[in-house]
Amino acid sequence: MYGWHGRLLRVDLTQRRVSAEEIDPQVSKDFIGGRGVAIRYLYDEVDPSVDPLSPENELIFATGPLTATTAPTGNRYMVVTKSPLTGALAHSNAGGHFPTWMKRTGFDLFIFEGRADRPVYLWVNEDEAEIRSAEHLWGKDVPTTTDALLAETDPNARVACIGPAGENLVLMAAIMNDKDRAAGRSGVGAVMGSKNLKGVVVFGRKNPKFADDAAMRALSVTISKEVGADMMAGSALRKYGTAYVPQVTNEFGILPTRNWQTGTFEGVDTIDGPTLTAKYLIKPKPCYKCPVSCGRLTEVAEGKYAGKGEGPEYETISAFGSGCGVDDLAAVTKANYWCNELGMDTISAGMTIAAAMEMYEKGYIPEADIGGPLRFGDADAMIEMVQKMARREGFGNALADGSYRLAEKYGHPEIAVTTRKQEFPGYDPRGAQGMGLLYATSNKGASHMEGDVVYEELFGVPVKVEMSTTEGKAELVAHFQDVFALIDASGLCVFLALRYVFSNERMLLPTRLSQLLSYTTGVECTPEEVLTAAERVYNLERLFLMRAGSTEDTLPPRMLEEPLPDGPNKGQVSRLGEMLPEFYRIRGWDETGFPTQEKLAELGLV
Amino acid sequence: MKVYVKLIATYRDHLPPDANGNTTCVDVRPGSSVQDVLAPFGIPLDERSVIAVNGVTVPLDTTVCEGDQVAAFSAIGGG
Repeated sequence: MYGWHGRLLRVDLTQRRVSAEEIDPQVSKDFIGGRGVAIRYLYDEVDPSVDPLSPENELIFATGPLTATTAPTGNRYMVVTKSPLTGALAHSNAGGHFPTWMKRTGFDLFIFEGRADRPVYLWVNEDEAEIRSAEHLWGKDVPTTTDALLAETDPNARVACIGPAGENLVLMAAIMNDKDRAAGRSGVGAVMGSKNLKGVVVFGRKNPKFADDAAMRALSVTISKEVGADMMAGSALRKYGTAYVPQVTNEFGILPTRNWQTGTFEGVDTIDGPTLTAKYLIKPKPCYKCPVSCGRLTEVAEGKYAGKGEGPEYETISAFGSGCGVDDLAAVTKANYWCNELGMDTISAGMTIAAAMEMYEKGYIPEADIGGPLRFGDADAMIEMVQKMARREGFGNALADGSYRLAEKYGHPEIAVTTRKQEFPGYDPRGAQGMGLLYATSNKGASHMEGDVVYEELFGVPVKVEMSTTEGKAELVAHFQDVFALIDASGLCVFLALRYVFSNERMLLPTRLSQLLSYTTGVECTPEEVLTAAERVYNLERLFLMRAGSTEDTLPPRMLEEPLPDGPNKGQVSRLGEMLPEFYRIRGWDETGFPTQEKLAELGLV
Repeated sequence: MKVYVKLIATYRDHLPPDANGNTTCVDVRPGSSVQDVLAPFGIPLDERSVIAVNGVTVPLDTTVCEGDQVAAFSAIGGG
């Protein structure tokens, strides 16, 4: 077999038993891999109505056919499960080094089921898989856990683990790999914690073989040279990481500020990429063999926010910076370090604190409940809350359940800016209309990683479309959702994929991506065929979502009823209603958002 | 007339040393286009460049008015 190994490792934590299984080659062909094959297994093996933190839920780690290949950025894995934050589907994505090392064990997927009676970790060294005690590591943070696991297995191995947030079932807990990389969203770390699974350690030398080795290597070199030339010419991602983006979103008036009360932030100049580069950057830190290198190794050398680690990237800055009204980049960076060490999603953590700040200022949350003031711009109070959330201490216990449950608890659900109870990423959909449709219809709740049309609406990748109109957005969002499902199934990173392995036109086609998949797997496929496979993935995810009972595609009242008060999109609200019926029609879904029998039959899902 | 020029990310390097952060103020003749405003900065504009006036994306031949803010950046990806 080429590209895929065709094997998965099933880990029954209740029985403490591991077993290897063959993956049906037809499933790999129909669902490609990664997020695609994972939803096939989740859908078939998990009742969508289960409690996400019960032993009946499964936690799936999935690599794609291009993971651990020569394809540039072919180094991603997906974590797929039922989310405790949203009650819907979770599929969280990470890079670093762990994904390639995992694929080299000779397994495409790990499926964790049941619950261990005591804390454990999994050590996979090719065909030797062992469940070991992790009782000595329970309560330890991510760096300490990672170092300890490497010391007792193999220093050349790689680790994914949870921190205290995952152990404490914090609903936005992340699974961290290589210390600072996060499968961040939807509380996948809490599912891991509920299973008493502290970590996963991987090592192997089983690189996948390519069906057409010469063609695969030649195309990989061609793409790498193109990326390299662009990097040499000057790349914002290389120079500033994604931290250059606050200036862009601020200019267009869609930078979430003070819990989405406005779209511009007067302190943007002190939390942006040039400030980060000048004051705190040690060097760019790439994922394994990545030619882009958008990661930031940083250090705040002195003062009360001193520390060293990775980040912040744009989403973290928009959540802890403008979102909380904090203009001190050192504090934002410290919040990022702590989220990494404690194992927590920076987007949901920052935006939940932002929601609490608004409720405090409006008098909806008594100061006694918080234990002190929690005002916008109070950096010290903000980062104190990060620690309390991860440990569920004091008011942190309420924050740990996310902004939707927090706002509901205090009688003001309208304050929460979420869909399917998941906090928005950093693009205000009142100014970028396509993003509103994306957040509303996303199978995993609000997420930019589900079909980030802001690439076209804001960044002009591959072409610029008007942000403020709804025209054409239904078609664009549906297409981008499939495109992102395809990238997530293949094992590539979106940063490189959208620019270099798709055609350079509005409804971008996976021209080179289909070639990479064909050369790797030996399954000849056209761009249209792989997009159909991605549509199959998206529709099966939709079925899981519907059966889980998360059926309403909508946006919070602030987006639909409160106009943006400032910036170039002043006066605008999301015009979701103008786009949703057309979106359903294009998708082949009925007026309630459920895939029609005709669509399911067309995709072979009946 | 005065027009503000905001150069973001890699384009920022083309600002004069006395710029205020990523923004500078320039004097241009009435009737000037965005292209006229940006030309002295020597920015390598191409099909990846995103140009906006007052937060709205515009083509390079757009005429600017007194007090407008012209912003420019180039991106290969988002956040």
